[in-house]
Amino acid sequence: MEITTTDLGLAARVQNLTKTFGAGESGVRALDAVTVGIRRGEFTAIMGPSGSGKSTLMHIMAGLDAPTSGRAWIGDTEITGLSDLELTILRRRRVGFVFQAFNLVPTLDAIGNIMLPFDLDGRRPSALEKARIDGLIESLGLSARLRHRPHQLSGGQQQRVAIARALATAPDLVFADEPTGNLDSRSSREVLALLAAASREHGQSIAMVTHDPVAAAYADRVVFLGDGRIVADKPKQTAEQVSAHMLAAEVAA
Amino acid sequence: MTAVAERAPVVAATPRTAGRWSWLRERGMGATVLVAAISTAFGVSLISATGYIGAAMLATPTYGSSETLAVIVGILGMLLLAVAVYVAAIVTANTFATIVAGRTRRIALMRLIGASARSQRSEIATQGFVVGAIGAFLGLVAGVVLVAAGLPVLGRVLGASVEYAVVQPSLLLPAAAVILTTWGAAWAGSRRVLTVTPLQALGGSVEQTHEDVAGRRGRNAATIALGAVGIALLVGGLLLGLLSPLGVIVAFFGGLFSFTALTLAAAVVMPPLLRLTGRLFGRSATARLAAENALRYPERSSRMAIGVVMGVALVTMFAVAAESAKALVAASSGGEADVYFNQMVDSFAGVMMALVAVSAVIAAVGLVNLLTIGVVQRRRELGLLRALGLTAGQVRRMVLLEATHITVTALAFGLVLGTVYGWIAAQSVLGSVPMPPLWQAPTFVLPAVPLVPTLLVVVATAVLTVIAAVVPTRLATRATPVEVLAE
Repeated sequence: MEITTTDLGLAARVQNLTKTFGAGESGVRALDAVTVGIRRGEFTAIMGPSGSGKSTLMHIMAGLDAPTSGRAWIGDTEITGLSDLELTILRRRRVGFVFQAFNLVPTLDAIGNIMLPFDLDGRRPSALEKARIDGLIESLGLSARLRHRPHQLSGGQQQRVAIARALATAPDLVFADEPTGNLDSRSSREVLALLAAASREHGQSIAMVTHDPVAAAYADRVVFLGDGRIVADKPKQTAEQVSAHMLAAEVAA
Repeated sequence: MTAVAERAPVVAATPRTAGRWSWLRERGMGATVLVAAISTAFGVSLISATGYIGAAMLATPTYGSSETLAVIVGILGMLLLAVAVYVAAIVTANTFATIVAGRTRRIALMRLIGASARSQRSEIATQGFVVGAIGAFLGLVAGVVLVAAGLPVLGRVLGASVEYAVVQPSLLLPAAAVILTTWGAAWAGSRRVLTVTPLQALGGSVEQTHEDVAGRRGRNAATIALGAVGIALLVGGLLLGLLSPLGVIVAFFGGLFSFTALTLAAAVVMPPLLRLTGRLFGRSATARLAAENALRYPERSSRMAIGVVMGVALVTMFAVAAESAKALVAASSGGEADVYFNQMVDSFAGVMMALVAVSAVIAAVGLVNLLTIGVVQRRRELGLLRALGLTAGQVRRMVLLEATHITVTALAFGLVLGTVYGWIAAQSVLGSVPMPPLWQAPTFVLPAVPLVPTLLVVVATAVLTVIAAVVPTRLATRATPVEVLAE
């Protein structure tokens, strides 16, 4: 019998994942036989310079894109080979997303955006989920902003709404793609502290793609990517250590 | 940014610099050409038809002193053309407003580099002029072909045969009118260029969801005054109609004024109606998103809907007026329908309905175009929704509901308006006709809504809804989360 993702203590994993864009001479190998797992309840940062393949890896892990070869799991569900409809419903129920920008549907107010995963599923949150959402809104300081539309919110507030939405369904995994890329340093610290707290206090598994050493320092584990391969996998790092590693990789290249 | 972003061709963000005329391929330009061509061809056909009828009357002595009739036919033709050109102008202004919204980043970039807002705006107006000229030329050619093929048929119907030159200098008039209105409409529609700031080129700014309806007080006062005069004339026409059939002339101007006022006030009148329709769709996520999208740019949606309202109302008006008149005449002759009278009324109403339907077609082109551009400009949002779990089926339903939202509202409003106007027309013409059993005027005409034309209007609107949803749906479901989020 095959060992399941859960047996390994993982929330998601990929095995021997390869992704190429284009073909022949102009073809680019964005991912080259990557095998990695995101541990359950941990806050993992995926670091790497531009073009290292970190976003491609995240897109495939989250069921947004299909690999050229290799396999991927979310929880115990193998997602490679799922149909578009199956993938969509899986994302809706079991994955949370926080993007760099344009996270919120502009026509819906904050609470409408937070409840979107439930609305798309055509159901109301259970009493337990309702309590959870209320707690999130409270701890994210959004209580007074629920009826505001995205353009009435600051960048930091928008990201907090996106975090509330991503955590609302208690998904197997939250993917954050450069969540602080568009924020000032104070809002960035806030957002990162919130993500770290969600993982520490509620056991939420989070994978964050970033190229910012300060952001990576908030994570429990830092996975370094370079040229489509995993070049290092380290436990909690300080921003200085992450920078030093990136610099060394840059010099070696 | 990210790996994919660097590799994916950045299509939307950079202006296409393929050539001087590449903007002609932009979405919306084709629709504007089509609208200009339809209006011109319509104008050419009307001028030729009225000219031919006039010539036929002069050549046929049995019509007697028919100069008055020729003048009336001519005026009627001009009015129909004016309505078509008016609807076309609304559609074009709307299209250009939408194009400007889609070009905001590029305009901001040009402003950043140092272009003035005025120069940016006149560039767009010039594009309107060029597009109008292309459409007018195509419409001129199509119209002449149509007329050359159609006049012999018209001659057979009238039982007249006259020599009539198809190509005449007067045919340039509708073409010129269409070019000028397209130019003007493009200028009017590009008003928003002036509000684009250079800072918007630097990104990060969040999209304004709900366009503010700019309060223009002078215009509002004029609209209210026009509406009040219109209603007063409608009532006056009704009262005068109790004494003489000439009441219809007063009522006609009442209708013209009140409807114009309604069109000018579309941005105030339509949103509440649209919101009401949105409630009918229920509370599901797709229904709510669709309802919000239909109201995202209230001014745009309102003007678009009012075009359809106009078409539906005009067709319904002729249908109701004819049916009411037939019912009254039948009643006055003791329940016996007068076959000859009915035939005459039916053919007149039929011809008029067919002619105003051209305006409805123009409005329909505008609606399809608005929805399509709306979806194209929302690709990022659709990608986000797909990432968060909106299925392809839900995307399709959302776009269809968005189209339905506007058409259902316009249909209902148009049917009500058309019935009221049609009844006023019938009442003001026939109010002074004495009726049995006492053979006394004034007579009260009951509004009668004919089944077949009404059903035709409903079916046509349903077809329009489906057509208006097909193209945008295809574009919307093609948006994948990754390519959109990678921008």
